[in-house]
Amino acid sequence: MSHIRINFEHVNYSYEKSVPILRDVTFSAHEHESIGLIGANGVGKSTLLKLLVGLNLGYEGTISVEGMKVEKQILPKIRERIGYVFQDSDSQLFMSTAYEDIAFGPRNYGLSEPEVQERVENALSMIHIEHLKNKQIYKMSGGEKKMVSIATILAMTPDIILMDEPSIALDPRNRRYLIQILNQFHHLKIIASHDLDMILDTCSRVILMAGGTIIRDGKAEEILSDKELLEANGLELPLCMQRR
Amino acid sequence: MSKIDGAIYEIHYMDTVANRDQWVNQIHPLVKLLLTILYIAVTVSFSKYDLAGVLLMGVYPAALFVLGEISFRDSIRRLRVVLPLVCFVGLFNPFFDRTPIAQVGGLVITTGMISMVTLMIKGVYSVLASYLLIATTPIEKICYAMRLLKIPAVVVTQIQLTYRYVTVLLGEASRIMQAYSLRAPGQKGVHFKVWGSLAGQLLLRSMDKANAVYESMVLRGYQGEFSYASRKKCGAKDYLYLIVWVIIFAVIKIR
Repeated sequence: MSHIRINFEHVNYSYEKSVPILRDVTFSAHEHESIGLIGANGVGKSTLLKLLVGLNLGYEGTISVEGMKVEKQILPKIRERIGYVFQDSDSQLFMSTAYEDIAFGPRNYGLSEPEVQERVENALSMIHIEHLKNKQIYKMSGGEKKMVSIATILAMTPDIILMDEPSIALDPRNRRYLIQILNQFHHLKIIASHDLDMILDTCSRVILMAGGTIIRDGKAEEILSDKELLEANGLELPLCMQRR
Repeated sequence: MSKIDGAIYEIHYMDTVANRDQWVNQIHPLVKLLLTILYIAVTVSFSKYDLAGVLLMGVYPAALFVLGEISFRDSIRRLRVVLPLVCFVGLFNPFFDRTPIAQVGGLVITTGMISMVTLMIKGVYSVLASYLLIATTPIEKICYAMRLLKIPAVVVTQIQLTYRYVTVLLGEASRIMQAYSLRAPGQKGVHFKVWGSLAGQLLLRSMDKANAVYESMVLRGYQGEFSYASRKKCGAKDYLYLIVWVIIFAVIKIR
């Protein structure tokens, strides 16, 4: 088996003690894997992703990234390895132009301006959006903002990419383009989404969550074709499978 | 477009203007910031009766309007809220200072009238100079220049984040007002009974949104201070620009 990049061991987490959000979550993720994190609303998908990058701390159990335990002192190192794409691109993008926003991360990590420029240009070319380089964020469409959001994390050259509902609010063409882009990445990817068709197109492994715990962890094709399992957990078969 | 959406548009518009590729936009931000401070200091230092000197100082904003290709009419329209307040200064001078100095036709010109006009022009020029700085320099570069002037990082970061978050706040306010007006047809403004809940919603939503933006920043290495792009040093063009204007200001002042 290839190198383990992420490890969750018996992780419990709650915002309030009486309301557990995650319960005894255990799984590992290896390099180059593409994992779909699925489940109904409120099962803890976003919380799990936020725990990985240390946006939520104070969990029980062990979470490690590249062998480093996720704790406050080590967060800058962990965040250098993980790119997190927010559900809402407007929250992710806060500078005036695409260039400035993509350059924000590399600059914070102390790179020189020529290195920053190279990183920005590489990130833009990886997803073929060089034309957006100097475009102002507020003038962008939803699809463009999503692509620039992805570029902001690619400029950090992460080993791991986390995405929270990446296809939300995208039109069919942009959604299809996003799928193409995701399939080009060889990073370890964890994609939390309700868009099961996209998960089927981009992920080889699926983790199904319900009630804050992992119900099933296995091959995407198997889990996403199990109608009873999906329906019992508040989901439905992907549209492409409903037509079969 | 609602007033809130209009305000958001104006902020974004200023960003667009400041990020253009004009010659004056490329001048080092430190030079432009220093010149703006110097210009305001020199302008307000004129005697309240030195109308000619103050009028001559108009050469700086006039040149910036031309060099930056900035519309004078649009600028006055944008400053329409501030300019009357600025003009209010000295409004009562003609009543208190009635020493006659000249007569034009039947109108007796008093020192109070001169000082009123001088004070008004000083105010207008100062506002215009600040506006022109913002119109030719993106906020990130102004903040970088402030850091070069050793203004504490915490102050500069506050300014930059306030500028960034104000659109977040306005955006949320706009969404709330749209939702309200769609369910309250025919109402002018917001009924006082819901002021409290709307203000509470606005606060909570803005905090959530601001928190999300902050999370996005810390995930990309932000540790309390912005890292600025313009680490380039002042070049010959920047020094020349500074020196020319300093000489012009000095000549007008000591003429």
